Amino acid sequence: MSVDSIIRDSATSRRGLRWWNLLVRELEVFLRASFGSVFSREFLTVLIPLLILWEALPRLGIVPRTLVPPPSAVVMTFRDMVVDLNMLEHVTSSAIRFGAGFLLALITAFPIGVLMGWNLFIRKHALPLFQILAPVPPPAWVPITIILFGVGLPMQIFLIFLGVFYPILFNTYQGIKETDPRYLASARVFGASEFTLITRVYIWHALGSVIMGIKIGIALGLIMLVISEMYGGRSGIGWLLLEAKEYFQIDRMVVCMVLLGFIGWFLIEVMKYIELKLAVWRIGR
Amino acid sequence: MIEAKRISKFFSVVNDDRTAEGFTVLNSVSLRIESGSFVSLLGPSGCGKSTFLEILAGLQAPSDGQVWIDDKLVLEPLPATRKDMEEYRKKYRFLSPIANSLFRDNPKHDIAMIFQDYAVFPWMTARQNVLFTLKLRGVHKSEREGAAAYYLRLVGLVGSENKYPSQLSGGMRQRLALARALSVEPRIILMDEPFAAVDALTRERLQEDLLRLWQETKKTIVLVTHDVDEAVYLSDEVVVFSPLPGSIRNKVVVDIPRPRRRSSSEIREIKERLLAMYRYDTVHESDYSI
Repeated sequence: MSVDSIIRDSATSRRGLRWWNLLVRELEVFLRASFGSVFSREFLTVLIPLLILWEALPRLGIVPRTLVPPPSAVVMTFRDMVVDLNMLEHVTSSAIRFGAGFLLALITAFPIGVLMGWNLFIRKHALPLFQILAPVPPPAWVPITIILFGVGLPMQIFLIFLGVFYPILFNTYQGIKETDPRYLASARVFGASEFTLITRVYIWHALGSVIMGIKIGIALGLIMLVISEMYGGRSGIGWLLLEAKEYFQIDRMVVCMVLLGFIGWFLIEVMKYIELKLAVWRIGR
Repeated sequence: MIEAKRISKFFSVVNDDRTAEGFTVLNSVSLRIESGSFVSLLGPSGCGKSTFLEILAGLQAPSDGQVWIDDKLVLEPLPATRKDMEEYRKKYRFLSPIANSLFRDNPKHDIAMIFQDYAVFPWMTARQNVLFTLKLRGVHKSEREGAAAYYLRLVGLVGSENKYPSQLSGGMRQRLALARALSVEPRIILMDEPFAAVDALTRERLQEDLLRLWQETKKTIVLVTHDVDEAVYLSDEVVVFSPLPGSIRNKVVVDIPRPRRRSSSEIREIKERLLAMYRYDTVHESDYSI
């Protein structure tokens, strides 16, 4: 084996190792930022007494146990649901619906928002349409959507799409429109084309409000996820919730609610992490 | 060479009681700036000199008059009649007249500009800022890194290449703006009160750096300032603007050989003359209003 190939081998293995280290380090950053705030000493002093109270009140009979299941019972029910009801499958099907609706909204709302913020001509033609349609509450779309798409995946994806679309659209538009004209002027003097302005100036300046729009979109999308599953389909967390209502299983309802809360919290934490990674330049301001 | 022919700029302002009011910022300013010279535009704050510079750079269209840079028209003046305005609107319906092309990075004129508040992009590091302008000028990819390193070294930003503007001090940010402007090797650099926001000591050092760079590269520099010392010390010719509406009050040629000393008697003499003019203008301000 020649000396060169040894050096090359060690270099590639080091690169492989570095890639792995980077992943572990980034994961650590993410976990510390997200779970760190929940399991901080300050919040635990609030959380633990609350949990104890929640456990103690039904057990001591101060509130009826049939109406308020204590956390220990909720945990047991969760385990049962995972085993007996194929909970994982329901969560996966909800995730697929949400992911499809969310992505569809992102890839349409973001470009439209950018174009409307960038160009007056496009804005004047397109914005009033969205301003009229946006105030229609997304749940009001449920009946007509069921008639148009029938009950099933397309209808659910469309309803989630409606919830996510407008927050991303309007926040993107607002952020792009309010781009500091000084930055535009300085890029134009150096010869930037309009396309370069969009990709290198507008979008970066609007990053904060775009991510804010996505966060609101996630929250509204989850609402629409539950509504769409309640109205159609035989799977998903929303459907489980409705089933639990039919049979008056309060512990199962609580499991579904906690699960939805956890999913929403987790997605928002992911967005925070992405914002941190994309907007390194804001640190120290 | 920059040639401004009878540049005027009006704004119409709508008052609270819905009456319209005309507002003249620049009143028939004609100016010829030879290649390789260092010219200062001096005037009190808010006299339209920054507007004039933006018109020179093609960032605003004049209401009347034309600017020619190296015999190329910068922007056509705004239309005066309603009929012309309709045609103008139709012509620029989709893209504003100050925009470059839609997809191709191509500057209209060989100029660079330095803004009062730097306007370096906060989302790019110092190095990326310079690389970006080099890319806009169509410098080949293989040459960009070297050129960026060279110009950052030239302005004394070694060691801060990978810092973001928010991590740099005001003086360093201004150096970065200077590096960015020099890196594209323009024939003309327009500066809008570049040293107004830095402390006195940093300002003197930046002025020395600017003079050194100007003497090495022989670019045309147009400097807008309200600092009489700065104008006299740096430039070949000081153009004095009167208070609103901005028009050229006087031109003073500073024919003191370089290198100059800040405290020399010739400089002090010219400074006194300029200050006397200033004082007269502020006392007799009404004489200039129309």
